[in-house]
Amino acid sequence: MNNISFGQYYPADSLIHSLDARFKVICAFLYIVCSFLCKNILSFAALLASAVILVAVSGIPMRILLRALRPIIFILLFTVVINMFWTTGETLLFSWWKIRVYYEGIMNALFIAVRIVVLIIGTSIFMTYTTTPIALTDALESLLSPLKVVKAPVHEFAMMITIALRFIPTLTEETNRIMAAQKARGADFTSGSAFKRARALIPVLVPLFVSAFRRADELATAMECRCYHGGEGRTRLNVPHCRPRDFVMLFVIIAFGAGLILINIYGVGYTMK
Amino acid sequence: MAKIRLEKINYVYSPGTPFETRALRDVDLEIKEGIVTGIIGHTGSGKSTMVMLLNGLEKPTSGRVLLDGVDIWEKPKEISKVRFRVGLVMQYPEYQLFEETVAKDIAFGPRNMGLSEEEIAARVREAAGIVGLAPELLEKSPFELSGGEKRRAAIAGIIAMKPEVLVLDEPAAGLDPAGRERILATIRKYREQTGGTVIIVSHSMEDMAEICDEIVVMLEGSIFMSGSTAEVFSKAGELRRIGLDVPEITGLMLKLRDMGVEIDTIPYTVSDAVPKLMKLLK
Repeated sequence: MNNISFGQYYPADSLIHSLDARFKVICAFLYIVCSFLCKNILSFAALLASAVILVAVSGIPMRILLRALRPIIFILLFTVVINMFWTTGETLLFSWWKIRVYYEGIMNALFIAVRIVVLIIGTSIFMTYTTTPIALTDALESLLSPLKVVKAPVHEFAMMITIALRFIPTLTEETNRIMAAQKARGADFTSGSAFKRARALIPVLVPLFVSAFRRADELATAMECRCYHGGEGRTRLNVPHCRPRDFVMLFVIIAFGAGLILINIYGVGYTMK
Repeated sequence: MAKIRLEKINYVYSPGTPFETRALRDVDLEIKEGIVTGIIGHTGSGKSTMVMLLNGLEKPTSGRVLLDGVDIWEKPKEISKVRFRVGLVMQYPEYQLFEETVAKDIAFGPRNMGLSEEEIAARVREAAGIVGLAPELLEKSPFELSGGEKRRAAIAGIIAMKPEVLVLDEPAAGLDPAGRERILATIRKYREQTGGTVIIVSHSMEDMAEICDEIVVMLEGSIFMSGSTAEVFSKAGELRRIGLDVPEITGLMLKLRDMGVEIDTIPYTVSDAVPKLMKLLK
């Protein structure tokens, strides 16, 4: 039941979900580039608008998306504060003791905040929220396959990631099961000093390691039984297909980037240095 | 007298997400004191979820779990006391062994109860005796034991806590016939020595027929039927309709009756059936 509910993948039926994962990786990369092309108020407004459109198209509830921002709140606040108080400019707005706040500082802080938020939301929508981890690894393998020419073990690397991802839910479930079993014997994982709580994990970690090694062994045997011999000459079960919509999305992003460059050239208002 | 009573229990996994699943719906159940109650049902019928509710490993989304008439969630901080009173042996319990020796592993529960060293040692010996583990095995590493021995060592770890109710989730799953027989013998011996209440979850109708006084049949998160073992297995038609079955020997006797052989009461264990079959052969 928990098989696919790990990571951040949010199943839904949207245009972005239906895109080819390889294009989504490229789009995410280009979108990051776009967010760094923004220099003035108009281009940042366009960036913000594009993020709103992305959110709407992806069909992912805002509540879930905000969860992605939670881990970066500290970094966000930190950069905003740094930019606000340490940027010097021409228009002094406020000064008290050693603190000087300039109009440029406020604008910079605002721009950077928008850039970080859009960056996170954009990449999560293109990759983690709408693409299963397995599809993502397959996409990376496919995109990196030119490196096979220089004998880089791209397939083996992708297989390792796939197996690791595949076992996250299994081991999570196993951990929960073992913890439940030890709790049924009166184990207490939540109270006591840090040392006591670390010690309380031994009854969970020992069986977990034993079972992880057993599973690794079983998997290796099962793969050998099916004559797995690495990537050479191996065909795929799910051959990825690019469809017109993938190219349309790519074109839209490139056009968006080009638009941002134009806005910068004929920029109005405050421009970030 | 009801030892455990479930009142209007509902249990929902991952509420509010696309993965929301309702595992139990409006379950009302009474587990009588001092007898063996069996719970049968398909995979995903809510059996395992239900047993985790009995000792407070999971909290019901709504409804109450009463142990001796007291709601176990009345004082959430004292839930671990409930776990000592309702001992749960989970599925494949051998995967929870972790100590250096079998004896230390069996002692893990009693030690968490804060008992004295002498009391712990006595309980380890007693529990090992009930599950039939030879004293020389107690000083071995649990990882050196055979599959069946590991399983019994894990069960001993729960029995050593002397719970008022012993709950076993699929205790014989994946064992060979000899291993399975020893598990059943363990449960019989436990009943003889302690007279405690036992709840068993199983797929095997034969095991259930042999050991249970009452049986609860679950279907898609609800109780489909319950009653004495004889009552439940007399409803072969209904059981088969939901894809379950009766013990093979019961099936055979029912077939004989359909063929016109006169059989007064349908037996559900082989030992009960033998005299009846012998009489027919005469």
